[in-house]
Amino acid sequence: MPTTLRIALLAGLLALLSNLAVIGFIYFRTHDEAAATVHQQVLEQGKVLADVYRSGGKPALDDAVEDTMTYADPQAAIALLAPDGRQIIGNLETAPATVLPMQEGYHNVLIRLRGQTTPREAALVIHRLPNGQWVISGRLAGEGFAIRETLERSLLIALVVAGLLGLLCGVITARYVGSRITAIAAVTNRISARDLSQRVPVTRAGDPFDRLGTQINAMLDRISALMEELRLLTDSLAHDLRSPVSRLRSAAHAATVASDPKEQEEQLGSVIRQADALMRILTTVLEISRSEALTSRKQFSWFDVGELSAELAEMYDPLAEERGASLEFDRPCRPIPLFGHRQLLAQAVSNLIENAIRYGSTGGTIKVNVEPGGRQIRVEVGDRGPGIPADRRDEARRRFGRLDSSRSDEGAGLGLALAEAIAHLHQGKLTLADNEPGLLTVLELPIHSQQSRAA
Amino acid sequence: MGRKILLIEDDRETASYLTKGLNQEGHSVEQATNGQDGLFRATDGSFDLIILDRMLPVLDGLSVLKALRAARIDTPVLILSALASVGDRIEGLECGSDDYLVKPFSFAELLARVNALLRRRESRVDPAEHRLTVGDLEIDPLSRSVRRAGKKLDLKPREYLLLEYFARNEGRVVTRTMLLEQVWDYHFDPGTNVIDVHVSRLRRKLDEGFEKPLLHTVRGAGYMLAA
Repeated sequence: MPTTLRIALLAGLLALLSNLAVIGFIYFRTHDEAAATVHQQVLEQGKVLADVYRSGGKPALDDAVEDTMTYADPQAAIALLAPDGRQIIGNLETAPATVLPMQEGYHNVLIRLRGQTTPREAALVIHRLPNGQWVISGRLAGEGFAIRETLERSLLIALVVAGLLGLLCGVITARYVGSRITAIAAVTNRISARDLSQRVPVTRAGDPFDRLGTQINAMLDRISALMEELRLLTDSLAHDLRSPVSRLRSAAHAATVASDPKEQEEQLGSVIRQADALMRILTTVLEISRSEALTSRKQFSWFDVGELSAELAEMYDPLAEERGASLEFDRPCRPIPLFGHRQLLAQAVSNLIENAIRYGSTGGTIKVNVEPGGRQIRVEVGDRGPGIPADRRDEARRRFGRLDSSRSDEGAGLGLALAEAIAHLHQGKLTLADNEPGLLTVLELPIHSQQSRAA
Repeated sequence: MGRKILLIEDDRETASYLTKGLNQEGHSVEQATNGQDGLFRATDGSFDLIILDRMLPVLDGLSVLKALRAARIDTPVLILSALASVGDRIEGLECGSDDYLVKPFSFAELLARVNALLRRRESRVDPAEHRLTVGDLEIDPLSRSVRRAGKKLDLKPREYLLLEYFARNEGRVVTRTMLLEQVWDYHFDPGTNVIDVHVSRLRRKLDEGFEKPLLHTVRGAGYMLAA
């Protein structure tokens, strides 16, 4: 599990670094503070001796030096030197002049006190008296160093512990993250193995993992819905192609067994017609998916919907008349501009008119109407035929959703589905309503999309 | 009156079938099997018509067409394509082709279109000013008046356009799809016999009461106006 290991190491390293920063801070602060304390003490001691000399003169100073040597703690350094640097009284072992720069002020030096074997670091204040003698007072920094050493050891141990704890935290975090991700991965794995019903487990914590899971689940829901639609479509396509293919087959068979050349020619003509019908179905299915994929939007342009509808009404008028109906169209007095696909919209409207002629001619009048509006343009085709009951209208709109399956001569039940797909291409919709009596099909084409596109 | 036709088609079976058929009609056919070769041959401009497959190796059909039009070679181009959607047809026409035929097609349909394109090239000189006559039928494109044997026929605007299109293709087969595309300018395939109804109405006005019919049905192909 290299990723878990990486996460663990990373967490451990981060813990180590942050601890290092904290420990470093503590270390330097303690060191600085110890040094500052010594400095302070030394300065004060020097000041006290100077005050003693100022108030009591040389004898008082001598007494004070004696007292300090006798009573002060063993870390204190004190001496009175002759002008040439020789020690008159004091507890310095080394000849001070050899190690001390004989000038006034504060100094950090290595010095050995009487009774000690090694020189140690000390802070000293050197002061010159008016008679030329020197007063030296100070402290060994040894005590501070001892504390520092203890501190350093503790800090080092703390650092190691912190590093180990960090590593442990890292392992735990990595395990947790890993298990959440593994759960999601397991689901996606099973999905790859074609089981789309799987869903990512979502806890109630609402953390980013849950959000990820919810997103994946929503995506899966959409995919399943699409797959189901696709499956239905493929099924119905395969099913609906069976009858034209079987007609094609029987015509071809009849042609092969026909003895009379005239009959044979007849059957071959039928073969071609059936093949054409098949091609038409396939082309329409293709056209629907093209429209749904919105690829034709680049061919959009401005045109007059009123003019287009008038043209189509005129085109279908003779056909309606032949089927015993009359086609009425009131031409709008003003142009109704629309930014869209003229050819496809013509096809959509013609599908609605053909549908009305095919199923509604018995009712007499078929009315085509275009209504301009502020937000949308409505193209309506209403017939006075039997209509479609409200609960079967969705079915009528589906691909291959021809309601009367016995009518196999005309149309594959794709007309309304294509009209709807073309409406979607224009961000509009197709509605089926009751024309009281008859069927009213309406293409609703919104205007907002056209303006935004034209701008 | 054979013509020179350049056929740019990579499918050998289709190509030989078309070549055979066009040769029988008296046209000479030169073949190219990829777009680049086709473009190279087409650039000499000596062809009367180019039949261009849309999906070709090396250089696709639409690119060939664009290159030709960019080089100002205005030989009529008929696109053949398995891409059948309305959007595809419009795209092909917008690229500068003169006609677009969807595969699979009947040879009769192809031949009708080939002849119409060749004819259009022939009569490109101010077509509107010529008075069209077919037998005893006289058409004046300027005033849009139609007479048969001296008697004025009363046609609706669309019927007139239909008749004029027939007359401009006198003696040649005109298919239903050609009528829909050329007379109505629609590129979809209607699921009804709407075109036939218009033709039969025109025929009633044109031929009723006359001994010799002018508008003929050509079985399996379409219609023909001929004296």
